[in-house]
Amino acid sequence: MTSLTKMAGPALTIPPRFRPAGVAAGIAITIVLVLLHWYAAVQTNTSPQDLLEGWRGLWNFLFGVDRTYPNGKTVHQDGAFPLDLRWAETIRPGLEYCLLTIWIGLLGTTLSIPVALFFAVISSRTTNRFVPLWLVGRGVMSVLRAVPETVYALMFIAAVGFGAFPGVIALAIHNVAVMGKLWSESMDEVDQGPVEALRVAGASPTQSAVHAVLPAVMPSLLGLLLYRFDTNVRSSVILGTVGAGGIGFFIKTEVDSFHFDTMMTYVCMVVVLIIVIDLFSAWLRRKVGTV
Amino acid sequence: MSERAIGVMSAEQRSGTALLRIEGLRKAFGQKTVLAGLSLEVSSGEVVSLLGANGSGKSTALRCVVGLERPDGGTITVDGVTARRAEPMPTVAMVFQKIHLVPRRSVLDNVCAGALGRLSLSRSWSVLAFPREVQAEAMACLDRVGLADRARERAGRLSGGQQQRVAVARALCQRARVLLADEPVSALDPAASEQVMNLLRSLADDDGLAVAAVLHQPDLARRYSDRILGLAGGRLAFDSSASEVTDETVANLYRPAVEALEAAERRPAAEMRELV
Repeated sequence: MTSLTKMAGPALTIPPRFRPAGVAAGIAITIVLVLLHWYAAVQTNTSPQDLLEGWRGLWNFLFGVDRTYPNGKTVHQDGAFPLDLRWAETIRPGLEYCLLTIWIGLLGTTLSIPVALFFAVISSRTTNRFVPLWLVGRGVMSVLRAVPETVYALMFIAAVGFGAFPGVIALAIHNVAVMGKLWSESMDEVDQGPVEALRVAGASPTQSAVHAVLPAVMPSLLGLLLYRFDTNVRSSVILGTVGAGGIGFFIKTEVDSFHFDTMMTYVCMVVVLIIVIDLFSAWLRRKVGTV
Repeated sequence: MSERAIGVMSAEQRSGTALLRIEGLRKAFGQKTVLAGLSLEVSSGEVVSLLGANGSGKSTALRCVVGLERPDGGTITVDGVTARRAEPMPTVAMVFQKIHLVPRRSVLDNVCAGALGRLSLSRSWSVLAFPREVQAEAMACLDRVGLADRARERAGRLSGGQQQRVAVARALCQRARVLLADEPVSALDPAASEQVMNLLRSLADDDGLAVAAVLHQPDLARRYSDRILGLAGGRLAFDSSASEVTDETVANLYRPAVEALEAAERRPAAEMRELV
């Protein structure tokens, strides 16, 4: 039996895995990255030493401290643990605040659907071949997306006052831009075949959007919607801390009044809330058939 | 007399003037010329097969006719109406190798989509807005391809052959007089292929459609078509009645492509040796 190497004639060199230029580039990139991180650490006063030295402050925050004042009086300052587990004063209102946070996330997501869909359709090459409109759609979404939810919330709180409603509006506006972009990207990736087939049949771009693109992308749009609901509930916790209602608002007020135990109870409730929403959204996305 | 003249004559004898007429069609993608002045005619009631190696321009020619590609030159006339470049014509429909139905929509909704070109947005903004008469017409088209009983099923649940027949029904619902088929049976098993080819044959015979099909199966082409056109290098290599096309004619048509393929496969190994 002849071996393959004997049959192959002149020996072939094995192409090298790494080229010198590639190795040099890799070293250069590593050096630049290390320098960038070193500079960032200096600028932010990040030092493991400070964290180690500050452990006493952290201990006091977690478990409380007796403060002795110059006049000889000693006052106990409660820490975060043990948790404040009073039902009527803490847990029941906490549950209501959690629900309010969910409602803010839900409305913020749902209200953005029609506008997000409009922007997704004009910003996908599959559904809109008119370049100026396409650019407008992309541009508006980029600008809206560049402003964080928190900043929108601060603006609407300044306009209409504290409460859940400014949070809803802030989430909706930001979500139009983010979900619109995610949706338009999934429309870009759709199989062009049915779109072409309908074009041959004389369908207008709007008609092929409705009859070829949307049915094909509907599961992924729904999956992205659920993912955004999940994210928006998280965001609405943060919006609360700047005054836009929900559990976040009460975490902020409790920490401001040094009720660390109540605050920590609410933080624990947020952890449970986020995990539950996360599991629920994942379960629903599996049901819908997309990840 | 050349083979080509015989072919054209036999077509014209049967039904007078050609329904689809392509003259001097040219198309290049960058430096690569795909169509170099292709001319052909298809008459009402006629099935014409296009044979040729990959890259010989068969699919591109069909895509130019339905407005999916913009030709660089030449004219396309359908029933005396000259096509505007890169614009679809209501009288010309197309079925594809990959079928291109919307799998998540019902069979009936897919067929109704063939009528979109003549429906205003107010009557087509959703499947719920399709008028009853369009749905009735779509049912008749489905019945014509023998699938009326599957109307409410999801298109994606049908077998490949059934899906291709639904695509033909969609073309009928467009009220097309010319049906172009781009490798309509390449993804189908032999039995389904025969069924689809029978359907195309019957649409020409019984409904007077002009059918032009790109095929990769010379045997099917000979059995189901009136004429066979051979394409090579973006031009017509031969145009003969189906019975006159021999195995040798077909082999000659594919020979340049086979040689080019072999040359391409030799090249990398030769380049590797130069490195040593």
